[in-house]
Amino acid sequence: MFDRVTEIMSLVLGALALGYLVYEIDRRQRKLHDIWDVLDGEDAIITGTLEDMVKKGELKPYAEAALA
Amino acid sequence: MTARAARRSAKPGEPHEGGVTQPLAQTEPTSIEQNGEPSAASRFRIFIVDSGWNSAARRVLHENFGLIRDLQKDDPIYVLSREKSVEFMRRHGSRIGRDPIIAVHDMHALGKGGTVGFHGFRLSLGLLRTPKQALMGLQAFARFLVEHRHSADLEADIRARLRREGFTGAIEIAMHHEAREIGD
Repeated sequence: MFDRVTEIMSLVLGALALGYLVYEIDRRQRKLHDIWDVLDGEDAIITGTLEDMVKKGELKPYAEAALA
Repeated sequence: MTARAARRSAKPGEPHEGGVTQPLAQTEPTSIEQNGEPSAASRFRIFIVDSGWNSAARRVLHENFGLIRDLQKDDPIYVLSREKSVEFMRRHGSRIGRDPIIAVHDMHALGKGGTVGFHGFRLSLGLLRTPKQALMGLQAFARFLVEHRHSADLEADIRARLRREGFTGAIEIAMHHEAREIGD
């Protein structure tokens, strides 16, 4: 009986540990995606605006050593 | 405040007490090459959008901008003025509070497929709250650009990196090591 309870407890704790690991990986990947994100079709307007500004000469490469 | 600190805070664009910083004025732009055009070898175009929040990320960006520029000297960096950055934020409200934002356009991808599919990536530096996090984020950004400037599939590289970071961070926790700072 005692062995059975110990076995069940081990299984539950193992499942909890695994669940936490999966949760933590997912949480960190979401957070990273917030910070680092790829530019795709959803960003087309923003990208287009920035590229237009370069094309029109409104933005020039910034060559100063420091931000003013 | 020390004399040095006072001199530093007097610079335009530097943060000062009271919330929003002085305008990040764009000085007279200078081109990368003598003829005024970016190098033909440029893989990327880098844009910095910063509306001027008084944040650790902004300070770290200002303090390390020279080094970032030197490391990325083959690629043009475009810095939006405060006015343009604020205008940008007003149009794209969901980005407020995420700046400074560094957007990197992959000119190879843009040339091939335009803006419909993958065409670069974005670092929302303003989401990193402490100076250490912001510095690590900026260093990871610089490292990634240098290491992958000749990549044939930049999108795959970015997605692989994100997966790896997520796994690594979680494994470190499982191993009872100190949690990685980025993203916390």
